[in-house]
Parts: sequence; structure tokens; C-alpha cells
Amino acid sequence: MAKIELCGVSYVYSSKTPFEKKAVNNIDVAIEEGSITGIIGHTGSGKSTLVQILNGLLEPTSGKVLFNGADMHAKKTKLSDIRFKVGLVFQYPEYQLFEETVESDIAYGPKNMGLDKAEIEKRVHDAAKFCGIEEAILKKSPFELSGGQQRRVAIAGVMAMTPEVLILDEPAAGLDPQGRSDIFGGICEYRRKTGATVIIVSHSMEDIARYCENVLVMSKGEVFDYGSCDKIFERSDELEAIGLDIPQIARLLRRVGEMGVSFDKNIYTVGEAYRSIIPFIKGGGGSAS
Amino acid sequence: MAVLLRDITLGQFFPGNSLLHKTDPRYKIIIAMVYIVSLFLAKGVLSYALVLVFTFAMIIFSGIPLRIVVRGFKALMFIIAFTAILNIFWTKGENLIFEYKFIKIYAEGVTYAVFMILRLLCLLTGSSVLISYTTSPIALTYGIEKLLAPLNLIKVPVHEFSMMMTIALRFIPTLIEETDKIMSAQKARGADFTSGGIIKRAKALIPILIPLFVSAFRRADELAVAMECRCYNGGKGRSKMTKLKTKPLDIIMLLVFSAFTAGIILLNGITLF
Repeated sequence: MAKIELCGVSYVYSSKTPFEKKAVNNIDVAIEEGSITGIIGHTGSGKSTLVQILNGLLEPTSGKVLFNGADMHAKKTKLSDIRFKVGLVFQYPEYQLFEETVESDIAYGPKNMGLDKAEIEKRVHDAAKFCGIEEAILKKSPFELSGGQQRRVAIAGVMAMTPEVLILDEPAAGLDPQGRSDIFGGICEYRRKTGATVIIVSHSMEDIARYCENVLVMSKGEVFDYGSCDKIFERSDELEAIGLDIPQIARLLRRVGEMGVSFDKNIYTVGEAYRSIIPFIKGGGGSAS
Repeated sequence: MAVLLRDITLGQFFPGNSLLHKTDPRYKIIIAMVYIVSLFLAKGVLSYALVLVFTFAMIIFSGIPLRIVVRGFKALMFIIAFTAILNIFWTKGENLIFEYKFIKIYAEGVTYAVFMILRLLCLLTGSSVLISYTTSPIALTYGIEKLLAPLNLIKVPVHEFSMMMTIALRFIPTLIEETDKIMSAQKARGADFTSGGIIKRAKALIPILIPLFVSAFRRADELAVAMECRCYNGGKGRSKMTKLKTKPLDIIMLLVFSAFTAGIILLNGITLF
């Protein structure tokens, strides 16, 4: 079943002024329940606008957004409820921290939901655990933490609302490799425990290939393609033409393939590549696949 | 609120090629002052007519869309309405036109209120067309720096002031954008800025203001470091790539505006009725 469905959605910024700009144009996409979807696209391709439409922060200029089959902007639906159910983590979310302690910052979302104290506390601790935040840190001020820790606190702040859909805009941007895998690990853990639908916007093809099942490719405000990783990365030349790329390891294996040793074409992660290359080397050459 | 933020026209520059755009910023500041003084000199229907025609001509010459100019009025609507009401009810004159219990409205009050509204609107239009819309912030601060240069003699740090102004103007759009972002992020966590009493609403601003201040300080810090990395150490011995030079156009502009002032003084002397 589709969790969120966009039907002919367009969004225009500063409509009817000289600065008018079409951000997204006529988008039809259905995000399956429980799936993990990556959104990729060149800078300015409309990804950030799209995610804000998905959780009701922006109302599309035209078209409909269906959440669990119901129109999100219908008169009787309360938008704040939608925002609790579709959690959105913005780019560089650490810049929105404001409370005195990490604990109360994570509790901000659940508090706005009107939950009771015990439930809030439970959710704060659960969310902290998903994001690898130790108990000792909870009592600290968010402003004394390192950038990576702040990022995790901010993500925990959204997870604490236990949204049915978790959307993250560039969750790992600017972090070191350890920080990246910690964050993605936390997201996967959250999804496994709650069965939530996850949407990740990223510039890193490696991360998308490693963590996502489906990929939505945006180009110039329109959907370029939408489908499984295999299907998308097969069109590597076209992706390159719109300023994107395929994972480096896939590029490498394709070059090797051109040189006469062919591996499985659908290898996009270093782990998979390792598992096919090693037997090939141990086997002393010949055909690998 | 987000819409309100975008309505601020302060420091909004519309690039263009009009004569006003080409005028030297130093002269523009001076003619803006001449214009404002003239506005306050105007008395009577004829001189106000001249003011209106002149201001309108200025907008046409600047090439700024009339719509943009009118949009700038929105921010001042409250002040304008307030002055108008104050003038209507509190001005005493000879021709009583309306009376109800303690409320007395005189014809003079109404005329005065109309003039006051016109004066405020022209003040806003004239100064924004002359200064913000047609002068880039950089040119403007350079102009101010040059005009105030004599104050250096009495040890006023003119360069530092103008640098502060440039930076402040430069960061207005950045901070507005930042505020928008933080507001969206907090809304995504269920923040509600539009309902509840005044205390609840004021409290709802805390999650915006704190991150905004933190990031403003961070930006200031980063900017200071970046400036030092490029060897900035104040105004001493600092030169400009383009030097301001008086052109014939600047003199003509000054003459046109002086003629405008003279016209108003002349028209003030003529009574119609």
C-alpha cells in the first residue's frame, strides 16, 4: 500500500512576482509503506522542496498529496497531526537546537504532541538509544557537544515523535565516515524497530546504494526516474548527463568489465564487490559471474 | 510571519540602468536630504501637487515597478493610519464638519491628515527610490563613508562604522533566510506560532530566537576570522578599486532637486483661493 502519494504536484515559489520560480513540476510518485527510498538530484533539482511537501510544510500550488490514502490538505485534516506522523529532519538540523539540555531538546517534539510525562521520558530515551546518545550526554547542554553529536541529538528530536514516515534531508552531510555510518545505522535501527517508512535525500550514491531499496531521481524539478537501485544505476550515462553519478565501486567494476573480466552488473556496494572479487582472485582468474 | 519577513524592503536593491542608478551615491544621499527637507517645506495644494508629480516622475525614471514601491507601503500602513487618525480628531480649526458628543472633526483636521498621509508616503517612496532601490548596499556605504570622512579629523572611526553597516546590510537577507529555515524545522517538530494568547506566542518564539542568535554569533565569528585571513586590519591605508568621481550627471541631478525645492517655496507663496 502506498504510504504517501503525490498526484500531479507542482510548487511555485514567489508566485506572481518577478522572482517566480518553479521548484517542482507535475510530480507523480507513490512511496510504499515500510520501504526505504533515496532521493537524489543535482543541487536545485527540487529535492528539498519535495520533502517539505511530503510532510505538509509546503502546500503544493497544484496537485494532491495523499497520506495513508487521505488528502493531506483537506479541510478536516489537522496539519500538525500530519507533521507528527511524517517526521522531517532538515539539512544541518544541529542549527535548530535551543534547549538547555539535550534531554529537553529531544523532548520538544513529543511535548508539542501533548503526551504525558512518563511517555515523553520513555520516547526521549528510546530515541537517544537509536542515535547512539549516551545517558551522560542527556544532561549536558547541546551547545557543548561536537558537531556530529549535535546532529545525532537533532535527529533523535524527530525520532522521539515516533513518526510513521521518517524523512531525512542530507542526514550525513559534512560528517566523517564513522559519523556517517553511525547515523545511517541509527536510522536503520529505528526502521527495523518501528517498521517506519524512511526517505533519505543524499548526494552520496554510495550511501543510497548501501541503504536504500528504491531511488527517486529528480532533475530540474521533475521526476527523472523512480525505481529499484538496480534499475536506476543501470542508466549511468543518463545520470551523468543530469549531473549525477553511480557509486564508485560500480564504476570501477564496469571499467574492469570493459577490459574483459565481467562481474555481476548489479553490484553497488563495496561489501558486495568484495564478496565477488575475492573468489575471483582466489579462483585464479577466468569468468567471475 | 514568514510572508511579513519577505515584505521588508530595507536594503533591497533592484539592479538597473536608469539615471538614478548611475548617480554618484554621495550625491544621492545629499539629494535625498534635499528632497526630504523640501517635503517638509511644502504647504498648500499647489506645492503638494508638485511633490506628487515630482515623486511620480522619480519612480518612472528609476525604472522600479510601481507594484514594488506600493508593496513597501504595507510595512508602514499602521503608522500612516495612526497619524491620520490622530490628526483628524485632534486638530482644532474653524470649520466644524462633524460633531458627536465629545468627538469634533474640523475641515482643517481632514486636510491636515490628507497632507500628512501624502507627506509620509512621499517620504517613504522618495527615500527608498533614491537610496535603497537604486543604490547597491556597497555603493551606499561607500558614499556614507566618503561624506562622513571629515569626521575622521575629530577621531570618529568612520571607516569602521561604514564597514559595520555594510556587514549588517549584507546579512539581512541571510538572516531572513535562516529564520525561515529554523521556523520550518521547528514547525516540523510541531511548533505552533499562530495560536494561543500573547504569552504562549512569545514563548513559541524561543525555539526560533535561540538558534538564530547562536548562528548569528557563529557567523560573526567566522566572518571575523575570514577577514583577518585576508589581512583586514581596519581602514588605515586601505584603498578602493573604483574611486568615486563627480560626473556632470551628478551636478545636473543636484540642480534638478534644488530647482524642486525652489519650486516648492515659490508655490507656497501662491494661494489658490
